[in-house]
Amino acid sequence: MSEPGVPGTAAGAVQPSSRRLDMDALVGYILLDGVLLSMALVVAGLFWHWLKTGHLVLDYQISGMNLFQLVGTEIREAVFGQLRPRLLVNLGIAVLMLTPFLRVVASVVYFVAFLRNWKYSLFTTFVLSVLTYSLFLRS
Amino acid sequence: MVSFHWLFLISILAGFVGAMSGMGGGIILIPALTLLGVDIKHAIAISILSVIATSSGSASAYVRDHITNLKVGMFLEMFTIVGALAGAHITLAASPRPLYIIFGLVLLGSWIALLVAGHETWQADAPQDPFSRWLELEGCYPDEALRQTVCYKGRRAYFGAPMMFGAGIIAGLLGIGAGAVKVLIHDLVMGLPPKVSTTTSNLIIGVTALAGTSVYLIAGMIQPGLVAPVVLGVVLGAFLGTRLLVRLSNQSVRRFFLIVLLVLAVEMIIRGVRGVL
Repeated sequence: MSEPGVPGTAAGAVQPSSRRLDMDALVGYILLDGVLLSMALVVAGLFWHWLKTGHLVLDYQISGMNLFQLVGTEIREAVFGQLRPRLLVNLGIAVLMLTPFLRVVASVVYFVAFLRNWKYSLFTTFVLSVLTYSLFLRS
Repeated sequence: MVSFHWLFLISILAGFVGAMSGMGGGIILIPALTLLGVDIKHAIAISILSVIATSSGSASAYVRDHITNLKVGMFLEMFTIVGALAGAHITLAASPRPLYIIFGLVLLGSWIALLVAGHETWQADAPQDPFSRWLELEGCYPDEALRQTVCYKGRRAYFGAPMMFGAGIIAGLLGIGAGAVKVLIHDLVMGLPPKVSTTTSNLIIGVTALAGTSVYLIAGMIQPGLVAPVVLGVVLGAFLGTRLLVRLSNQSVRRFFLIVLLVLAVEMIIRGVRGVL
């Protein structure tokens, strides 16, 4: 009889605060939207490539470029009049890589500004620093 | 160049199994890609990029279901990302045969440890050490199969952390999420319930894979021709696999793990030892 109330009371005593629940939702949507946007860009690039060439194999190479050079080079090409399907594919790769990065940025903001939890502010900031370093690697 | 359709189909399968087991897609993807004739280092590179997509996609569902523990994730990520950077650099310098053998051994090790662990069931009331309490490693989650809220306290973080550094090296080195290893550390060392350990490992995997991907990208190992079929396929497969995990009991997930790990371990070791790559 009291069964529907049981999970509720158990949750009430120990379940994280509503702020924590909001964070779960935010992280969830960042991850989901990032992956969906990235996939949409790759699909669009692939479709465009197929319209232009009649096949699905993207036969260019990426070498010696980090995330920002990858996108920067194609944007420069586009500005100078050569708009290519690979712009969308490269953007897709970039968005995919920035998705977990953005999740970590959100975690830093959450622990620093909302929870004011210095331990976890420190941990998340360390993770963010190492990832930022890795994104700016040069060949 | 391998056919787009085969790459796509294999990747759907890899993504499905990866999400179901919490291992990430790479563990199936890499052996399959090498069988299709892709060089192992390129397979590793494309795999670790696809692992970002798989883990982020499935982690998003778990996080919103409140199964994932964000604090456990953030703490352990500090160790896995540094390991992944190191691991990826080692692979770039290594020759293919040892990579096959290490890949197989890692799978075999996970299989043995998981088999031994199969007899223990998770205990909710084990005592927590002071360090893990200081790290606030605890939480509750709603369990659909048990139809109740399960609460737990993480333990032995001082032991789990350096082991996660090792898991990070393996992830970067082999281009896998190394989810099996991470789940194992969460389960056996830190005493987290199986569902919390698989889902939290999923969250950690995304960030760890990003560190590894950056190294492979700058080294020119990410091939756009592989990106489209592989990453799209893996994401599609992972979406289907994730829908299933939330509904399955802990025991079926574990049993499924065991079969997949063994088959792939034996296959990779044989190829590495015989030199038939």
